[in-house]
Amino acid sequence: MRPVFVAGAGMIPFERQDENTLGDILAGAGLAALDDVDLGKHEVGAVYLGNMASGLFNHQVSVASALVDRLALIPAAAERIENGPASGGSAVKNGVLAVASGYYDVVLVVGGEKMRDVIGPKATDIVAAMTHPHAEYIYGLTLPAMAGMFTRLYMEKYGVTREHLAMVAIKNQENGITNPYAHIQMKITMEGILEHPQSHINSPIIADPLHLYDCCPVSDGGAAVVLVSEEIAKTLKKPMVQIAGFGQATDTHTLAEREDPTELKAVRLAAVQAFSRAGLKPKDIDVAELHDAFTILEIAESEQAGFFKMGEGAKAVERGDTRIGGKLPINPSGGLKARGHPVGATGVAQIVDLVWQLRGEAGENQVEGAKNGFSLNFGGFGNNVLAFVLRRIS
Amino acid sequence: MSNITAYKCKSCGLIMYPYHDRCLNCKKREFEEIEPSNNGKLLTFTIIEQLPWGMDERGRILGVVEFDNGVKALGLIDVEQPKLEMKLKRGWGTVREIGGVKVKGLIFEKA
Ligand SMILES: [Zn+2]
Repeated sequence: MRPVFVAGAGMIPFERQDENTLGDILAGAGLAALDDVDLGKHEVGAVYLGNMASGLFNHQVSVASALVDRLALIPAAAERIENGPASGGSAVKNGVLAVASGYYDVVLVVGGEKMRDVIGPKATDIVAAMTHPHAEYIYGLTLPAMAGMFTRLYMEKYGVTREHLAMVAIKNQENGITNPYAHIQMKITMEGILEHPQSHINSPIIADPLHLYDCCPVSDGGAAVVLVSEEIAKTLKKPMVQIAGFGQATDTHTLAEREDPTELKAVRLAAVQAFSRAGLKPKDIDVAELHDAFTILEIAESEQAGFFKMGEGAKAVERGDTRIGGKLPINPSGGLKARGHPVGATGVAQIVDLVWQLRGEAGENQVEGAKNGFSLNFGGFGNNVLAFVLRRIS
Repeated sequence: MSNITAYKCKSCGLIMYPYHDRCLNCKKREFEEIEPSNNGKLLTFTIIEQLPWGMDERGRILGVVEFDNGVKALGLIDVEQPKLEMKLKRGWGTVREIGGVKVKGLIFEKA
């Protein structure tokens, strides 16, 4: 296996993009990554596109073929990778394998989704289509509802409170304010979303015990990276950022069949694999981008990935350990909560944000001296998870 | 049909719902079809205020129930104030209309 490096990274702002088609979003993200690197004579050999549901959201399929056409990358190999909300992570993984194997020297990975072509409840239904058809979907189960059932048990077992959940939301939205790519750029307060007698108007229940500000927005957006071999990476001017390891693991389709429904087994296994491949430990990580589609997930993932002991994640948030400037800044980009969650884009956007951090290009959200980064992309409700460890080579 | 069908592995005894082509524990392929018992307890639940398109309703309660014989399944919880570990009995009825077709499933009431 050859080492794999991120040579170019780019993103377009995550927001409601009424003016742009899915094709515009994917091409915009792809160009942003290509413009970030001077590949010289080297050509892109393959394109991996992370996208969950273009057929359902946009009535468009074979979108990877359309993308190489728009980007004049013909005759590069191209395909769309679908793995629910972890489609982006899966696309990155396939790109890594393609370069690591030696089959391609330059690969473009794009992740993108345009979810706002349909009305909100329709988007909820499309996302809910990943639940089990007759054991879950028919009851009206949604992803927030799965998260709600998980949250109730987690709060009960580990003493996580609504204040803890609100602290995650407040921190991530604060980070989002200084991230020009973030969908939500608005400061929120404990009083406004939880303590004031009328806070329920600002943050109504979505799926009890989760409220509006516990959930990520529905966004349009795209992100992309150019992956290259070490030989090419050495010739480039920017700091070398290596994808030092990835891990991926699966779990039962239904939440009901998990022996301990508060355990995110696939998160734990994916993280262990990623760290083992990279030869690093959780304590070596300087910055992490976790999949906070729901506030509880940032806390649970920070524990299951090995950064904190079980039950300690909420306390770390309370102490400020996960803020920028804390011991382990989590989601300095604002995470899914503020950056947004165009499902297929997220796993790629996490890698882009880490690359910017490790190169020292993260602007106001920079974690000083960050050398090693970790990302976690959570598919389904934890039934298909990818973890990545990135390292700056100095 | 007025109940779900669960599966017990003939080799290792693992109880599964929904169907898997191979046992999640031992990978063998022979199962005995079993019905969940009449009663169970509520393992977790949520109250959904924003349901998917086509479901014009608020405050739907869904929860995971563990039946007395070990089967675990999601269902509609038709109880005013649900509590964890609450004893429930199973019923059966329309849980959603999909494309004009009434789809039936588990509906739990207080035992
Ligand atoms: Zn078995």
